[in-house]
Amino acid sequence: MIAFGSPITKPDVYDLCAAPGLRLSAEPGSEVIAMPAQGSIFRSYNALLDRAAELDDLEAMVIVHQDTEIVDPDFCAKARRALEDPEVGVAGCVGAVGVRSIAWWEGSVALASFIHRYPEHGGGDLPAFAWEWADAPPYARTGEVDTVDGFLLVIAPWVVRNIRFDESLGRFHGYDFDFCLQVREAGRKVVTTDLRAIHHHSLDLVSDPEEWIQAHMRVAEKWDGRMPEVGWYAGTWEERARLAEAETDFHRAKGYTAQQELAARVQQAERELVVMKTSISWRITAPLRLLSWLTAPFRRLGRPAGGTR
Amino acid sequence: MIAFGCAITEEEPYWRYTEPGIRRAAEEDSEVYVFAAIGSTARSYNLLIDHAAARDDLEALVIVDAHAEIADPDFCAKVRQAVADPDVGVAGCAGARGACTIAWWEGEVVSAPVTLGYQEFGGGRIPAFDWANPAPAPGEVDAVAGFLMVLSPWAVRNLRFDEELLLGPGTEVDFCRTVQEAGRKVAVADLHVVFHDSVELLSEREREVWMQAHAQVARKWEPRLTGVDSADVDWKARARRAEAERESARAASYARGLMTDAHLVELEREMEKITSTASWRWTEPLRVLNAWRAERDAERSARPRSAP
Repeated sequence: MIAFGSPITKPDVYDLCAAPGLRLSAEPGSEVIAMPAQGSIFRSYNALLDRAAELDDLEAMVIVHQDTEIVDPDFCAKARRALEDPEVGVAGCVGAVGVRSIAWWEGSVALASFIHRYPEHGGGDLPAFAWEWADAPPYARTGEVDTVDGFLLVIAPWVVRNIRFDESLGRFHGYDFDFCLQVREAGRKVVTTDLRAIHHHSLDLVSDPEEWIQAHMRVAEKWDGRMPEVGWYAGTWEERARLAEAETDFHRAKGYTAQQELAARVQQAERELVVMKTSISWRITAPLRLLSWLTAPFRRLGRPAGGTR
Repeated sequence: MIAFGCAITEEEPYWRYTEPGIRRAAEEDSEVYVFAAIGSTARSYNLLIDHAAARDDLEALVIVDAHAEIADPDFCAKVRQAVADPDVGVAGCAGARGACTIAWWEGEVVSAPVTLGYQEFGGGRIPAFDWANPAPAPGEVDAVAGFLMVLSPWAVRNLRFDEELLLGPGTEVDFCRTVQEAGRKVAVADLHVVFHDSVELLSEREREVWMQAHAQVARKWEPRLTGVDSADVDWKARARRAEAERESARAASYARGLMTDAHLVELEREMEKITSTASWRWTEPLRVLNAWRAERDAERSARPRSAP
């Protein structure tokens, strides 16, 4: 039996995002454990694992964030296939190799078969590179990786019964990377598989930078020397500090560039709009638009109830 | 006498921006030093300073980048006002307090109405440091932007840019620190300037050099500013923190890019709404005709006129 779990801090978000996905993917015998979050995400996920560990017929435990919507009708079949190899401990739909820190995306991302759906600016979708296999880049592949993103985790029964999220690391960040490191240290594999999901998430990727930075440092300290390359970069400590400080300022400057670029592009769009709205054609069709605007309420009344398309 | 100086690496922007700006701002007796750039920025600027230092009647030396255009009708009066305080060694049109590195804009930015004139996206002008939420000029700072620097006569006669810094970025920050170390002030004055540059603050192309320069200036000044010898720094702790901050900054920068894209998609949707109306589609032939007429008129006006 495949069990599903999600810790909830915002019930409306869970109802809107995770719940429909769980309804779509769960099988008749599936256990769905939706419980209020308990303190940190580490503790909440452990509570879910504790519950799942009690299930004798467990084939896999699937944990999703409350804002993650599984949109894969073959989800359970794919999850079973991913865990067919008894050495596989964890599977996900986004993963990377060459990862050295909780910023797993700084590694070489091997698979990302999800859509990032954002609410800002009228909302929109950002399909990740492996959402459409036909358009996927040459490096897109399923298989073994260093880590997967924690918004969707498929966890093997052995891992459910033997490994726990490290609650000493903080409240939220780095839980997934640390968990994958533990799984790998225990001799199991972390893999990606093309499970399809929508992550309903703001475009603000690190909303609490200081907490993220602290988690980054703790995880680096924990694993440096214990897992090859984690927390390691070339150079002496002084060289590493100097380089990273320079790169930090460089990346911040890139962020300011994005702001300037936006201002420039908005100016460009406004100019185009002015050209449009001052054109003869726009002006001579003004009465038509006025008429359309005035008659819009009557046209709406004329439509059969619920018949909008 | 207020002197102006420019070390030219590219001729075209000088004629287009710097020269007209200086012409507008300069007074009758102003001296204008224009040289081809030599070696590093520091060496080129020192050449300008050496020439200005020879003038006994010097009131200030204004070093202008070839992409900067002075746009202030009261420029010289404001320069005089800025250096009227004998404690001021260098002034600029934008700068920052608490600027710890060559990325001076990471400090608390103070800026005159400086405009960025960009070429991308059809070209245009935007306030240059809006993203830094700058405080208005005037104000005392720790570093000023290098595209326009006003040096006091004292600074011209007593200080030089450090030619041992072989990399260009950060030269201005280094000079401002030299001024402060000599007990003088660095200030931002209300000087209106247009800086003609890309919207890109730092390009990928200059990344490596910029980062090396960042480390070079930090190595020079940190022990002097903090009083802590490099050997006593806990480099491991500092590296851990810096590496975490770097990745956080990279994620934040990426997120800002996404935010920009999302905003643009929203704008495109609004434009689409206009251009997909029936009236817009019906009047398409009119616009085609109009475009053809405009093109024809442009061609006619570009054609050389026959002699009378």
